[in-house]
Amino acid sequence: MMNGQQRHSKSAVCVALLGVTALLLVSENVRAESSVPGNFDNQGAKIFAAQQDTPQVYLDADSGGRTLTDFYSLRQYPGSPPRIPHEVDTSFSGNETNCLSCHRRGGYSSEFDAYAPVTPHPENTLCYQCHASVQSETLFVETGWKSIQPPRLGQSFLSSSPPPVPHSLQLRENCIACHTGPGAVAEIRVSHAARGDCRQCHATVVQSTPISEFERK
Amino acid sequence: MRLDRRQFIKQSAISSALATAGALFPGISFGDWSRLAQNNSVISWQKSPCRFCGTGCGVLVGVSDGRAVAVKGDPNCSVNKGLCCMKGYHSVQALYGKDRLTKALIRRDGAMVEVPIQEALDLVAQKLQETRDAYGKDSVAMYGSGQWTIPDGYVASKLFKGCLGTNNVEANARLCMSSAVTGFMTSFGLDEPMGCYEDIDHANVFITWGNNMAEMHPVLFSRMLAQRKRRTNVKIIDFATRYSRTSQAADKSIIFRPQTDLAVANAICYEIIKNDWVNWNFVNEHVSFHKGKTNIGYGTEDHFAFTDKAESIDFEDFKTFLEDYTPEKVEKISGVPARDIKYMAALYGDPSVKVTSFWCMGMNQHTRGTWINNLVYNIHLLVGKISMPGNSPFSLTGQPSACGTVREVGTLTHKLPHGVVMNEHDREMAAQIWEVPVENIDPKPSYHTVEMFRALDRGDIKFIWIQVTNPMVTMPNLKRYRDGALKEDRFVVVSDVYPTPTTDIADVILPAAMWVEQEGMYGNSERRTQHFTQIVDPPGEAMSDTWQIIEVARRLGFEKQFSWDQSDYIEKIWEEYRRFHAGPKHEMAPYSVLAERSGVQWPFVDGKETRWRYNPRYDPACSNGKDFDFYGKKDNRAWIWARPYEPAAEFPDSEYNFWLNTGRVIEHWHTGSMTRRVPVLHNAVPSSYVEIHPEDAAELGVVNGEKVKIISRRGEITMPAQINGRGVPVRGMVFVPFFDESYLINEVTLDAFCPISKQPDYKKCAVRLEKA
Repeated sequence: MMNGQQRHSKSAVCVALLGVTALLLVSENVRAESSVPGNFDNQGAKIFAAQQDTPQVYLDADSGGRTLTDFYSLRQYPGSPPRIPHEVDTSFSGNETNCLSCHRRGGYSSEFDAYAPVTPHPENTLCYQCHASVQSETLFVETGWKSIQPPRLGQSFLSSSPPPVPHSLQLRENCIACHTGPGAVAEIRVSHAARGDCRQCHATVVQSTPISEFERK
Repeated sequence: MRLDRRQFIKQSAISSALATAGALFPGISFGDWSRLAQNNSVISWQKSPCRFCGTGCGVLVGVSDGRAVAVKGDPNCSVNKGLCCMKGYHSVQALYGKDRLTKALIRRDGAMVEVPIQEALDLVAQKLQETRDAYGKDSVAMYGSGQWTIPDGYVASKLFKGCLGTNNVEANARLCMSSAVTGFMTSFGLDEPMGCYEDIDHANVFITWGNNMAEMHPVLFSRMLAQRKRRTNVKIIDFATRYSRTSQAADKSIIFRPQTDLAVANAICYEIIKNDWVNWNFVNEHVSFHKGKTNIGYGTEDHFAFTDKAESIDFEDFKTFLEDYTPEKVEKISGVPARDIKYMAALYGDPSVKVTSFWCMGMNQHTRGTWINNLVYNIHLLVGKISMPGNSPFSLTGQPSACGTVREVGTLTHKLPHGVVMNEHDREMAAQIWEVPVENIDPKPSYHTVEMFRALDRGDIKFIWIQVTNPMVTMPNLKRYRDGALKEDRFVVVSDVYPTPTTDIADVILPAAMWVEQEGMYGNSERRTQHFTQIVDPPGEAMSDTWQIIEVARRLGFEKQFSWDQSDYIEKIWEEYRRFHAGPKHEMAPYSVLAERSGVQWPFVDGKETRWRYNPRYDPACSNGKDFDFYGKKDNRAWIWARPYEPAAEFPDSEYNFWLNTGRVIEHWHTGSMTRRVPVLHNAVPSSYVEIHPEDAAELGVVNGEKVKIISRRGEITMPAQINGRGVPVRGMVFVPFFDESYLINEVTLDAFCPISKQPDYKKCAVRLEKA
């Protein structure tokens, strides 16, 4: 268990993050009054809101602390929910919003000496529904599981053109969450998030879908 | 059992089937373009405007081994400052579709056969001459494009208006911005915006009037978003009939019933006057009040004619006129809550807030398109928010040279490069520069676009030459015009780069050079002329549209007027054309300057571009000694117009109970003949669909992807439903992107148009739906 000092710093982080969370909730309430439907165009409103709400310093910050190797080591196939790579204080079970105290907006955690990755779908508060914790490292039976390779990076159609979004946007609608800030995976971090309209340049062409060419009928 | 984090990662790395995934592509990251650009061969970069929309982004085309291989945003271009959208970044791929037209084709016994292009040009000239001899000068027509380069449109006008003596010259820009032109002409007496894109860097409030900028003008939209991020006092208000990507990004989205923007604009003026937010100094010095005819019709019948008549009124008359448009009354018409109308009025009325209004097809493709343009100018004029950085009513265009080629060169039936055919002085000027007898130029306009295709159907026009456009996808009420074009003794010439539904009906297909395969100029939405050199060779026998016209003109005996040499014809044409615009109100930059820079704004006077017109601090044409000079009108004032709300030409009733709205998506440009041949864009949106509100879809019993039949009084079409996709129409409306030639939505639309601008309304007709 944590010693007193660690606990102290953890609660300090939590207090700081809760302050930010409260602000975010206020701004979300304003948007809740909007007549614009929330669920269309792959919930693109999330990108615009994140671009507007995330401080510029955070959009620009980079820690290099997470790599694609870390990223895929927690997943069973490209797009699977990652397992939880850190211990979860059992006293928190049943109160899942505590995940969001760090993973809603990210930020530095002294407990883990790392920047928390930001979830692209904070509205799904039942985190444990998909994200499994790890209680044992042994397998019940060895598995023959194999999956496809993850999307290759930098697969631009032209040498100078922006790469398309290679993955489905379902549950990963908010580009800003995973592709900016110090918690982002180093290889997929972008440095120009302030432009705000990611899909202006990055078309969605899912790599696992066959490429077809236009032919007149 | 407890793992520390590092142990855990190590453990799972070993057990994961994807353990090596991250290591497969070490060091590759987003944004690392310089690394990706290291090909075996050297790339050279040359400037050009983008091929697609009217924003006019500067691009740098990368060339290697004679092929265009890459695109960068041009950092020297003030339009986009190095950024593009997905279409721009992949634009060069549109040159290399496998079915590129490289040989001329002529119809023999019903089948298209390849011939040398010179033989095809002989046939074009011969048929044109024969038709003219047999049926008169107005039996031949040229239908061009806002994608024509400036020299393309110039030689077309010179040949048809100057030499052949017919005003049968039209361009597809009639379908996209003629209401903007008539709006400018009636309000200011001169065409094109007073402001420039730099307004975005100064405005506090952006109001988009029926304008999904996030998809249609994305580079300007992201510039707005960056400004909102950088400055804390910036708001975006989306005023629309359908929820779009722009609605998602906006601070507030206000939905109005189709056509009722007219009423809302008047209600905003009512509120401004009621609350005394009028800028009296400005209004007293610089504004005069007018009214025109009402109940002006919709042009759905052949030979429809309308001429407006302006009458002077005073401020009190205007105030009285607005009494029908209180926010409460307009709430009933428009469905916009009175408080939202008051909110918009307060933004326009607040003297501490700089407001830029943006619009494009929503206001222009409108049976009262001229009026709604006037009405938005009214708002800006009442509060004096115009011709200053950040205070700007801004009419955007959709094509790269709708402004440059169609509006400035004047490739519309009533226009000349300077002025109009009806004006004797303008005809004399044209005759002098063109070296033709002044009697050649007919003082009477002939057919605007819709009427031109009606004339083709009727047989009044027998020969039509179509360049750089695809009317067999884009004409409203399409079936009539396709059937008409296919009639027995009609002769259709089509110059294009790919086979399209329009080349399908052609008797001669001329392969055209595309974009940077030729030298040329475009003109964008902010009065910016943009030159590009020939960067790569056209394929096969493909020839620039300009040169095709020159070849035919010479065959018709006009060697003197078309005597240019192929080595420098673009420069020579530009310098001839530039004479039409001499003077501080429209001076164009010389060729040598255009060749140097990434676009130059006109008026270009004494080596300086004019960023804000009518304001003496920026505009050297101002001469009245006051703080503004609206020199376009004889009374030196901008005109406020009393224009009422009148209903759409067709609206939902018990039989046809849905609105049909049509438009675009970010991936595809117009009819998709270019963008569908760009793999990334085609793969992102491979086919069209009909957007339906989720509750309407549920009532109809369709789920995403199921087929829906859309039926109007003109025709029907069956296509897949899209629910909660790119956009969400309100209940009782459906929306269809028109890029897909497999789903010709224009067989369903109505060919009603604005009686003043003659621009059709693609945003409103009545349909009913059936589950297919």
